[in-house]
Formats: sequence, structure tokens, C-alpha cells
Amino acid sequence: MAQRRWRLASAMGSAALLAACGGGGTATPAAAPPSAALSAAAALGEKIFRDASLSASGRQSCASCHDPAFGHSPPNALAAQFGGPNLDLQGTRKAPGIRYLAANGPFFFAADGAPTGGFFWDGRARNFAEQATEPFINPFEMANADKAAVVAKIAAASYAADFRTLYGNDVFADVDGAYLRISLAVQQYEREDVDFNAYSSKYDAFLRGAASLSAAETRGLALYNSPTKGNCAGCHPSARGADGSAPLFTDFTYDNLGVPRNPELTRNADPAYFDLGLCQRADFANRGDLCGAFKVPTLRNVALRQAYFHNGRFKTLKDALGFYVQRDTNPAKWYPLDGSGTVVKFDDLPPEYRVNVNTTEVPYNRRLGGVPALSDAEIDDVITFLKTLNDGYAP
Amino acid sequence: MHSTRLLAATSSVLIAASFAFADTAAAQSASESDFSKRLDQLASELAKVKAELAQLQQQQRTAAAAAPAPGTATAAAAAAPAPAPAVPVSTALGSGLLNGPATVLTSYGEINYNRPTNDSKNTVADMRRFVLGYQHRFDEKTKVVTELEVEHAVSSSSDRGEVEVEQAYLERQVARQYAVRAGLFLMPSGLLNENHEPTAFYGVERNFVETAIIPSTWREGGIQIVGTYDNGVTAQAGITTGFDLNKWDATSTEGAQSPLGSIHQELQLANARDLSVFGALNWRGVPGLLLGGSIFTGGATHGQSANSSHVTLWDVHVRYQPGRWDFSGVYARGTISNTPAFNAPLVGSTTLIPKSFDGWYTQAAYKLWSNDQYSLAPFVRWEQFNTARSFADLGAGLTPDAARTERVATIGANFNIGSGIVVKADLQRFRQNPDANRFDLGLGWSF
Repeated sequence: MAQRRWRLASAMGSAALLAACGGGGTATPAAAPPSAALSAAAALGEKIFRDASLSASGRQSCASCHDPAFGHSPPNALAAQFGGPNLDLQGTRKAPGIRYLAANGPFFFAADGAPTGGFFWDGRARNFAEQATEPFINPFEMANADKAAVVAKIAAASYAADFRTLYGNDVFADVDGAYLRISLAVQQYEREDVDFNAYSSKYDAFLRGAASLSAAETRGLALYNSPTKGNCAGCHPSARGADGSAPLFTDFTYDNLGVPRNPELTRNADPAYFDLGLCQRADFANRGDLCGAFKVPTLRNVALRQAYFHNGRFKTLKDALGFYVQRDTNPAKWYPLDGSGTVVKFDDLPPEYRVNVNTTEVPYNRRLGGVPALSDAEIDDVITFLKTLNDGYAP
Repeated sequence: MHSTRLLAATSSVLIAASFAFADTAAAQSASESDFSKRLDQLASELAKVKAELAQLQQQQRTAAAAAPAPGTATAAAAAAPAPAPAVPVSTALGSGLLNGPATVLTSYGEINYNRPTNDSKNTVADMRRFVLGYQHRFDEKTKVVTELEVEHAVSSSSDRGEVEVEQAYLERQVARQYAVRAGLFLMPSGLLNENHEPTAFYGVERNFVETAIIPSTWREGGIQIVGTYDNGVTAQAGITTGFDLNKWDATSTEGAQSPLGSIHQELQLANARDLSVFGALNWRGVPGLLLGGSIFTGGATHGQSANSSHVTLWDVHVRYQPGRWDFSGVYARGTISNTPAFNAPLVGSTTLIPKSFDGWYTQAAYKLWSNDQYSLAPFVRWEQFNTARSFADLGAGLTPDAARTERVATIGANFNIGSGIVVKADLQRFRQNPDANRFDLGLGWSF
């Protein structure tokens, strides 16, 4: 029995396939629950994760942008975090949250052509370890000169002895080998630490029968699930799996929403610059149909985040949801006007790729001047429900 | 039944005697021609006894079978709810066992053509089912019955067909009136579930009450006792696996098409913490009349949720075949308990779990014409069913409306060829969904 939703085929063929989201999106039932005590590698990984000295500035660690107190997302509302040796170089995209990715695997194209999986907004990393190798040497992030510089810092860290105990006394002699083991230790921490897969939200308690939702939260959930109202569940599934696994609120696919250009990103001052998402990857340079698509993130802890979408364009859930339902009914509210006073819809994409934007799935299938899929009060109800997805619920 | 066993015993004695006699004759000095004459005489008497046995069994099957064109002994016996230890009749002497081949191949198949009258672009022709089965008789009292089915002709990860084991059970006669069945068997519910070969029902497609409400072909794994009494009553009771409510997919429409069909397990790595019990009574005391009912109930959550829920399905059915007429009717109703607890996280989704679903039909067929090779039986059927008759209250604005009751009128004819082949045609009209109105053709066989 196929679980995927039916995809509307458009005249542009695969462009519409890309725009639609599918089913799936629950925790892997076979994954062992994280143990209370971390393994040696994971304990090392935690130290590396929190070690700000591993950056050129000496003030930025993994935890700086993936803050445990904010769902392992940024602790501020910046569109992109500042990094570099002086913490004054703006990054290219909003730092993604890194929780609830245990079921996420390497990037692949599903049977129906839908891009699925991978880490980062464009899925270019295959797993946690591969993702961890990039920020250390990204000049706009932790800005180390090269792998050798990172390895040297670890070798001088307080936990270098633990590193040698685990991986051998001469581990630091081989830069590539040591760098690999640094990334594996961080991966082990992200896999084992229960904070990354806590399932401790009010909604989880509700699914277990240990809590009940308020009237507003229930209304919000109904609007969230309804395929004719919010239809959020279309890409962010809320239901338990057939095997009882908890919902992850993402189906790990990609979507193209036509999010407005964000002037807060200094790169966008150059009108010829566009962040094209999936097709900006070297291996998809000739896949014009993938331009403008970014990964569907989990909505768990979404209320702890302060900037939304790949370019951090919106700072509140109210704006984000308002954009979803009013993008097409009232584009002038969300997009700039050009010289002649016409709204430039999907202005963060070059004209030839604006056709890739998802305009077929609810709620972005409304017409100009029409009624949005959710009213103001309904948006508030959905937000009330989304707040039940924050970890750390205590009745 | 008693006389059948007597005949069976007599024929086995005769065969044993003939061999014993042959041994003795070889040891003595009787002339060879005398000996062979006596052998011939014995053989002809044996053949006569076998013919009488076959006739008696045929009479039994005609009374018990639900098939409009009674198939051969083996297929009917396998499907019939009254399981006399069916002795397959064969005129071959000495083929291993005393009473014919121990292993018998069975099969049925359906090729269907559906043409929506308002929507002809969705016309489909399909090898709906191809079923191969075998029965093997271990001894007089014990047999195994199996069926393997291929749906839609081609099954692979990129095709839409399926291969499934439809039945695989052992049956042992433990007393004159009682048999025990264990394994994967068809549930005794309605008229169609146990006798679902294309030669066994009128119309190209199986009726909706017995596919959407009773999820034919419904089978479970477990054990049951079958009692067959001289007064025409057959009673069945057993313990089996059941349904799994955790499989309910609120984002698809499968649950709206058949609530139980979307949560059945088919003994495929079935969750079995909660078992179900069932009972069925069928009475054939009056020639041509079958009256019966069944009930099935059991847990459906298997400890995977903080809440528990039970699924119950019951039915009553009747079939009356006076002369050339063939009347039948079924009412079936299913309920699922404690649905608010399971619907709460699903509010707003496309298909929530209904509290009740039911349906009924009446059907009349008339054997208009027949000769020894062919028969033609037109029929009409009226059915009403609702796969979501009611939903438990979830609160104002959140409780889904009950589904609309679908009403289907079918008129058509079965044309039987020989014993075991049927050509069918019918027209179906749907009250709620006129796009589904269709003209159907079907070809089927069963042996």
C-alpha cells in the first residue's frame, strides 16, 4: 500500500514533481533509544561540539549556532550567523536545526523522482559526520585555515589525551585520519545524546495518552492536518507510523516556496546573485528543475526558532504562516514592487526558474484576491498547536 | 454421510480382498484363466461400488454447495463450510492410495473488463486473479489445503500486482462430526468469503457489502473447530489473529473504501498480541435453504498504544434456491470501539476512523435456460452500504460527518459452460457516484 500522496502532473513535468511533498517521515523503529551514558567517542564528540577554541575567532563552537537551549538551532533571529576570524563575515544561509535527523540518510531520488534526504539545506552531506567536516574550515563560519589547523587545535585541547586513548597514540600524525575521527566523534555524540531525539514535547505526551490538547491546540491540529485548510501535514506529517513510531514533522523531501528575497543577506545586494538551492550543487548544475528547492525541516521545536526558511526572511511564525496562505492571494504584502509598480513575485529566483515554485499544493493554490486558506484566527490556532512541539514539556 | 463412509469402507475392503486373493491364488494351483476371470469380476464390482459412492457424494455436494454451477468434488469441498472428509473420486485403480490421488491441484481465475459508462477513458481489463492451490490428503482424516494467488497478472516492486498466500491450513477429522482446522484460513462470514471463486457468485465483481464491509477475501491465522450435525447445522468457532488499528492511514482514502480492508493483516508479520474469537452457524436443514450468521470480535491495538480498541464484525445471511430461482441476502455490520482516543491526533485529516459501518444486499437469479453443457442465469442485485455510518464525537467542528450511503443496482447474467467455466456480463449503477456506473464483462474458471 503506497503511502505517498498523489502528485499533480504539470505541463512542465518534473518541475511539479519536485514541488510536491510525499508521505513518510516517522522515526525509524529499529533505531535503538539513546543510552543515558555516552560512549567514549560520543563523550569526546560532545567536548568537540562545545569547544569554541576550535574556531579561528576562538569564540565560536558548533553549539554557538546549534544551541541546545534553542532546539539546536541559532539562539538569535539573524538571517545568517556571523563567522570568520572576527565573527563579522555573514554566512550564506540560516543555520539549520540538527535535531530529529536520526532517520535522515544520504540524498537520493525516490521512485517518483522526488529528491529526498541528505544533510544541509541542499542535502549535499550524506550523514552527520560529513556535515561536521564543513563548518570547521568554512571561511564564513569557524574559519580554520585547513584540516591541519583543526587537528592541531584538538591535539592541544584538554581532551587530547582522551582522543589518543580512543583512536591510538599516533592519531594526530595523520591529518586526514584525525580529521575523519573528529567528525565521527561529533556524529556519535549527535546520535547518542538523548537531547537530539528527546520526544519530550507536549504533543509526544498527547500521543502517548499522557496529556490532552487544549481546545485551541486541537483546533490548530485539525487545521494543520486538513488537506483543504493548512495541509501542513502534506510535507510535515503529524501522524504516528503504522509501526507506532513517533512523527518527525518532515518527510525529508524538498520544496520550492518562492520565499521572498531577504535584504538582510548582504550577498543579495548584488541583483545578479541568487541562492538556487539544490541546483547550486555541482552535481546538479544541469538540473534546472531543481533550482529554488530547499530541504523540508522538522517542525519540532519550530517555536524555539527565531528566523524561518533558508534565508531567514521571516522572524515570527505569524509571518511565516501568513506568507504560506497569503503568498498568492495578496503577493504585494510579501514581495517588492518593481519600477512600474508591479509586484515581483518569487523575486528571490531568476525569472526562468520561477516556474519551479510550488503553486499546486494546498495552501499555495489560491488565486490573486482570493480568500487565504487560513484566517488570522486560524493561523493563531495553528501556532498554538505548533508550540506543543517544543521538547521539554512538563505538565 | 454414514452411507458414504460405508461405501468407502466397502470399496477398500474389496481392493484389499482382491490383492489378498491374488496372493493366495498365486500360491495355489488354480488355473490362470479362472484367476483372471475372478479378478475381472472383482474389478467390475469395485467399479460399481465406486460409482455409487460418487453418486452419493454428488448428492451431498449439491445440497451443501453454494455454487450455482457445482464444481468438482475437490474445489467445492475445499471451500464449503461443511467439511466432510472429501474423498476425491477417481476411477484409477492402485494409484497409490485407496481412494484416488492424494494430492489434488485446484485453481480458479478471473479476467475482468470494466468500462465506466460516463468515464470511458478509465476502462480497464485485468487478470484480476490467478489462483493455484493444492490439497494433499495425508490420510483418511487429515489434509492440507493451500491457495496461492496472483492479482493483476504481474507482481514486482514496480508493478501493481500482488502475490499472496490466500489459504494454508491443515484439517483433521477428530470425530465423526468434528474437524479441527489450523493455519491460515478463510473466515466464515457472509456468503462470499469462503466461496469466492468466479463460478460461485453472480456478477463480474464481488458485491460491495462483502468487499467493503466484510473484507473479502478475509483470512486470518488461527485454529477453529468445525462441527457438522445431522440436522443440517454447521457450527464453527475459533481463535485467530485480528485487525491492526495502528495501520489506519488518515491521509489516504483506503479507510473510506473499506475500513477493515485497510487494517487487515493477512498473517503478514501480523501483530498478534490481541487475538480475536469468532463463531459461525449455518443451517441447511431444508433442501435449497441456507440460513446463517457469524460474529467476530477482538482487540486491534496490540499494546502499541496507551488506549485499546476492539473490532467487531457480524453478519446474517440467507440463500434460498427453490427450483430455478436463487435468492440471497446478507446484512453485515462492523464496529470499532474507543475511536475518539485514536482519532484525536488525526483531527482534520482526510479519513478518520469510523465508529460503525454496515451494508446489506438482496439478490435474485433465475436459471432461464440450461442443457447438459450450458446454462444461463440472469440476476438482479440491490445493495446499500456505508463505510462510515457513524463517527464518535470529537467535539464541535471536529467530528466528521457520516459518509453517504452508497446504493448500487446491478443487473446481469452468468453463462456457465460445462462445469467450472463462467462468462459474465453486468451493468452497475451507483447512486452516490454516477462516474462509477459501469458495464462489466468477466471470464472465470474454477476446478
